[in-house]
Order: sequence, then C-alpha cells, then structure tokens
Amino acid sequence: MTELLERPQSALPEPVPVQVTRPDRGKLLRFLGHRPGLVLSLLMVAFVLVAAFAPGLLAPGDPGVGDTAERLQPPSPAHIFGTDYLGRDVWTRVVHGASLSLQATVIAVAVALVIGGLIGLLAGFVRGWLDDLLMRVVDVLLAIPAVLLSLALITALGYGTVKVAIAVGVASVASFARVMRAETLRVRQATYVEAAYAVGTRWYVTLWRHVLPNAAGPVAVLAVLEFGLAILAVSALSFLGYGAPPPAPEWGSLVAEGRNYLAVAWWLCALPGLTIAATVLAVNRISRALDGEWRRFR
Amino acid sequence: MTVRPFRRALAAVLGAGLLAGCGAGGAAAAAPAGPPQPGGTLRFAVSSDQGCVDPQQVGSNDSIYSLRQLVDSLTDQDPETGELKPWLATSWTSNPDATSYTFRLKSGVTFSDGTPLDAAAVKANFDRIPQLGARGTLPKGYLAGYVGSTVLSPTEIKVDFDRPNVQFLQGTSTHSLGIISPASAALSDDERCAKVIGSGPFVLESYTKNSSIVLSRRTGYTSPSSLAEHTGDAYLDRLEFRIVPESGVRVGSLIAGEVDAIGNIGQQDEAPLAGAGIQLPARANPGLPFGITFNLSRPFGADPAIREALSWAIDRDEVVSAVYTSATKPATAPLASSTPGYADQSALLGHDQAKAAAVLDAAGWLPGPDGVRVKDGRPLRIELTWFNNAGSNKPTLELLQQQVRRVGIDLQLRERPISDASVIQQSGEFDALWGNLTRADPDILRSSYSSKGANTYRFPASPLDDLLAEQAAQSDEDQRSATVAKILTNLTENYLTIPVVELTTTLGVAANVHGLKYDASSRIQLYDTWKSQA
Repeated sequence: MTELLERPQSALPEPVPVQVTRPDRGKLLRFLGHRPGLVLSLLMVAFVLVAAFAPGLLAPGDPGVGDTAERLQPPSPAHIFGTDYLGRDVWTRVVHGASLSLQATVIAVAVALVIGGLIGLLAGFVRGWLDDLLMRVVDVLLAIPAVLLSLALITALGYGTVKVAIAVGVASVASFARVMRAETLRVRQATYVEAAYAVGTRWYVTLWRHVLPNAAGPVAVLAVLEFGLAILAVSALSFLGYGAPPPAPEWGSLVAEGRNYLAVAWWLCALPGLTIAATVLAVNRISRALDGEWRRFR
Repeated sequence: MTVRPFRRALAAVLGAGLLAGCGAGGAAAAAPAGPPQPGGTLRFAVSSDQGCVDPQQVGSNDSIYSLRQLVDSLTDQDPETGELKPWLATSWTSNPDATSYTFRLKSGVTFSDGTPLDAAAVKANFDRIPQLGARGTLPKGYLAGYVGSTVLSPTEIKVDFDRPNVQFLQGTSTHSLGIISPASAALSDDERCAKVIGSGPFVLESYTKNSSIVLSRRTGYTSPSSLAEHTGDAYLDRLEFRIVPESGVRVGSLIAGEVDAIGNIGQQDEAPLAGAGIQLPARANPGLPFGITFNLSRPFGADPAIREALSWAIDRDEVVSAVYTSATKPATAPLASSTPGYADQSALLGHDQAKAAAVLDAAGWLPGPDGVRVKDGRPLRIELTWFNNAGSNKPTLELLQQQVRRVGIDLQLRERPISDASVIQQSGEFDALWGNLTRADPDILRSSYSSKGANTYRFPASPLDDLLAEQAAQSDEDQRSATVAKILTNLTENYLTIPVVELTTTLGVAANVHGLKYDASSRIQLYDTWKSQA
C-alpha cells in the first residue's frame, strides 16, 4: 500500500490523489529508533500540548500569585524553575503561559494558512489578471520585513494576544500564497483535473474536490514549519510588551520580565527562553519529518 | 546542584566586569578626592526620553537630569532646610497677601547666545508660559493666577497675580521656571522641544530623540547659584546623557565603566553595584508619592467604597520590601514625608483585608463566581493606566494586583507610552492612574487636586477647593502647615487619592565622580560635579 504514496523521482511528477495508508508498526519503531531527536521533539510537543490544554496537571499552583518572602529563589526541588521577583513559581508561569502562547500561535498560523492558501489557490487556478494582481500584492508583503509589518499592524490593531496573533499571521500570508499557487499551477494541469473539466464538472467543484486536496500537502508541511516561526514571532512581540497585559505569563513577556534581573537571577530569562527554543526546535524537527522523511525511509 | 556551574560562570562574568570597573577608577574611591579637577565627560545613562529638550515642558526625572543643566532659575532651594536662596535674583520681596512679587536680578548675566538676561527676558518667559500646551502643566501651575509682569528697571521685575500665590516663590527655584532666552521663548511649543537656549552652565550640543542628549560646558558662565560651591565655569567639559531603556544594560555599563552614572536603580541592582564599589546616593523625593488616583467622574472613581476598600487592600510594607531600594519608605500621607507641610496620616493608610471586604460588602459589591466582586451584574474590574517610566512600576503594580485580588478587586493594568501621559491626563480617558509628582512644596496638592486647575482627576467642586486655595495664600508657615494638614486629612479620609510608596531617587555613580548633588526636589545639579582622572 505504501507504494502508492511513492512519487517517482522523475523531472515531471504526476500527482496522484491522496490515499490513506495504515502505518506498519515495526517500520514505525525502526523509524523512530533511528531518530532520537524526533522522539524528543514529539515528547516536547506533547508536553506543550498538555501544558496548553491541562496546565493544572503539570503545575497545580496559581501562576499569578507569589509569596514575596520567597522571591528570586534559584531553581530547587520546590521550585524547579526558581521563583521570580514577586516570588511566583516560574515553572507554573511557563506551563500556564503555554496555552496563551500556543493560542496565539495557532491563530497566527490559521490566519496565514487560510488567507495565504486562498490567495494562492485563486491565483493559481484562475490565472490571468487576477494572478498578476494577487501576486503583486504578495510581492509587496514579501518586500516588508515580517516583524516590521507585524509591528505596524499591532500599532493599528492595538495590544492583546489575539491581535498579536493576527499581526503575525498576516505577516506570513505571503509565503503560504506563493507555495499554494505553485502547487495549484502544477495540479491544475494533471490528467484528472482535465478529466473533471471534460465531463463538465463545475469549476468550483473541481477546485474544491480535485485541486485543493492535492495541492494542500506542501502547504500543510509549511504550516508546521511556520508554527515554529510563529511561536518566535509571537514571543518577540509579547517580549516588546504588545501581548496580553500583566500578569499574563506569555512566554515572551516572561523573558522580558527577567531581563532586569539577569545579573542576580539568570533563571528568569534562561528557563522560559530555553522552553521557547526547545518548542521551536521540536516543531521544526517534526515538520522536517513530515516533509517526506517517512516516505524515503525503508 | 545543577545550579553551581551556572553560578560559577556568572560569577566569572561579573568578576570580569568588576575588574574593568576598577580599571576605570575604582581605586580612587578609597583615596581622598583632593581638589576638584576640571575637564572630562560625564556619561549618564537614563531610562527614558520625554521627546522634548525644553526644561519648561518636561516633567520626567530622566529628562530633568539633563535639561536642568541648561537653565538657571531665579531662586535656589536649600535641600537641607527647604529655604529659598538667591540665584539669578539677588533678593526679592512680596506684598502681604502674596499677590505681587518683586525680584532684583543679578546684572551682567547673559544667555549662551549673548543676549542679556534682564527683567525683560524674565517677563518674556513668564508671559509665554500660560500659553504653553499640555506639556507645560508644571510651570502653568506655578504661575496660577498670573496677571502680568512689569519691568521696573533692567534688573528689577514685578510679577502680579490676581489671587494669592505663595507657592510661586518655590516654583521659581525649579527647572520648570528656569529662564530661557526671549528668542527661544517666542518659538512654538514644538520648536522649543527641539532646541532651547538658556543661561545655564551647559549648552545643548545635540539631541537625538530616544538616543542621547549631549551638553557641552559653557565658557564664560557667570551666574552660579548662591548654593554652588565654586564660581566660574563648570568643571566637566561635556555631559552625555544616553537613553538606555534596559535596566540590566545600565547596570552592566556602569560596572564595566562604560558610563559614569545611571538613574533608576532597582532593588536587585543594589548588591551588584555596591559590590563593584559604586556610590549609591539616595534622597526621598518630596511631592506626591506613587499611588493610585481615580478619575472621579467615572463610576468606579465616584464610588467612595471602592476607593476605601482598595486602600485597605494594599499592603504597603510588602510592596516596599519586595520591590524598592533599601532607602525607600511606604507612603504615610498623600504627601511625601520630605515635603514641607507633611502630616502623618498612617492611621488611615493601613492594611486590613477584612475591613476592605467589609466596606465592599456594605456597598453591595458581593463576591461573584470567580471571586471578583459584582454589583448589578457589573464586575469590579478596574482599569489602571500606568507608564513604564520607572523599572519598579511593573513589579509594584503586579504585586498590587495580587494584593487587591484577595479582596475581590480585579485590577487590570493598561500600559501606555510615557509620551502619551499629558494627553491621557488632559482627556481624562482613564479609570485610575498610577503615578507620582515631585515638588518640594505642598502646593502640589492644589495643582493636582483642585477642581479649579487642570483637574486631571475630575474632582467635583467641594470645600477641599477652599482649603487648597487657602494654603496658597498663607504666607505664615505655621498657619499654612495647619491648613495643609487639614487638606491631607480630607484627602485621606475620603480616599480621593491612594498613596502607596514614596519615590526615593537612587543613582548609581562611579567612584571617580565627585560633587554630584541632589537639589531640594531630588534632581541633580552637575555644575559642581567633577571627575578625578585616572
């Protein structure tokens, strides 16, 4: 069955409609056994997801309340990430911050995926003047550095987690549009799309049933990759103070809070910072695995 | 146990910084300073820039540190006694009801562009101040009721008010009424914010917004204050004020000898700085302590129960011990303890959660499902507007948020850029403001809380207005203090403002810098300052 997913390595691959295959358990174990980094990445992402959806399981305390008598304690068994300048447990804040940061990231990627995907799909499918018009808009978006564009949007939208997410999402619309357009251009020339035309299928049915599902694969991989970048961008903006107001423990703002205490309490910046780095690396590793690593594995 | 290697690495890094600091002159700290040496550049790192270099239009300490050096004032206030001493004015008199003042000016004083500083120049300044925009609130307050000035002779000027104005005299000692050249005074507000000419010991060399303010020594300076320790030109060649928003970077720069002095020291910085041989001079700022003041025209502010409960819910001692430098005191009145006329109100400013809860219960604010109190379906969610012009603000407010949450008040923190401060105050678009105001005269109460002035907090007209006006007219110090005490009691009993902590200015100053002095308002005078050369 797996043979069906195999794309020929020839110069002009013929896209094949997506088929669902049942993974072979022995192969899966061998695959993961050779990739400890990927296993770690999966564990990290699983951990972040648990933190986002059930933070109470990992850190039962209240992230917003601390005991000032215990402020700036270094990491210890009682406070594995130490405590901050008001005696709040940094571990609890990181865990509870996961949902905020993840929520922003998911919104950002969703915005980029939906808007970028639609622009690319339309441009690639309709071609002609609409393609030219949309691609020039995308050119303009690509010409502006993403963080600068996000900052400009934030200034217009105002502060807050969701607004940060939208700003980050809009700033990465362009890359999704480009990839989606390229895939659509390829797929719309496939024999089954021509066949669909030939039997008189309406254009929107063709677009929805035949072009979109087969062009979406690379965009989905890009979305996972973009997920990591979006975590960084969202953290950067919340570091700059554009995110949720205090005491919300967004990851970026946790790092920002700690920087005044760097000389006396390294853990305030280092541990949330390492968490962000680990999450981004994990997501990147997974997106690389999704991008054909399994298929090439024998 | 895994902590150890990190600590060791950190100690190594800090140690390296410390050695560098010593190289820059740490050894001089132990030796007696000796006679002042002229020359050198003082590099001063401050955290923010108000976007203006006109001393009459700034109110933030970070800007005042530099701009104070550009101008001289009519009088100077002794930081020890609070007495007013001659500066540009050699003597002054006032009429008994404090509506008219006559100043005799030093003769032969010039601005740095060569034009004479005479009675006409002072008149040009005072005539222009009432027309200043929102940025000019401070000097406008000092000139409340200003009718006009009369030039009696080139060295004699009479200033008239339509009502008694006792605080004007102290106002003349501040940077806000520092005298700028008539040509500068005539420019528009915004033009003045880019460049002004004064008669001070330093002149503006360059100003780059949000980056640096550079001043250079004025040669031929003839008008030092009578409180200064020397005459003639200032000792330092140049003053470089760098805007460094990161507190960690400021501290690191000072320890590494990259800068000679820094402002806005946090509690966490004291130990590393003291360990590196840095001087940490501190002085309590007079004026309004840091606190929360409601907009009384909005529903939350208009409800006395909310104001009272908020005050009882705050544990001021915990705030001070957790966030502020060791020299800081909790607020014990709506006026800081170093202000003339201060009267202790600490009996009304205690911490009592049960009382806070009882007050809210009685007013009908009952705990809702999530612990936040609710009345008529409206949650007790107060938006507190604040500016990040001091590193201690954020931790303080987060701590206050925790404290008041325990009695069911949900304090939401809304941060705005400091450059928007005057706009927000003027428009009144806030539920409550966090802030302080430094002034070495109790009249700061009138300019802040009288319903007849700028009335930032939208106070309704009340007998308080009469008391505030009364103290402004009392030239007898004891009588005035008695009135001020009544005002303080009134403000505190009605919780019209909720003072939390007194601002204490702590600077970090390298060991080779000498003669850096605080003035009566806890700002700095750099005329007598000098650096011992390595």
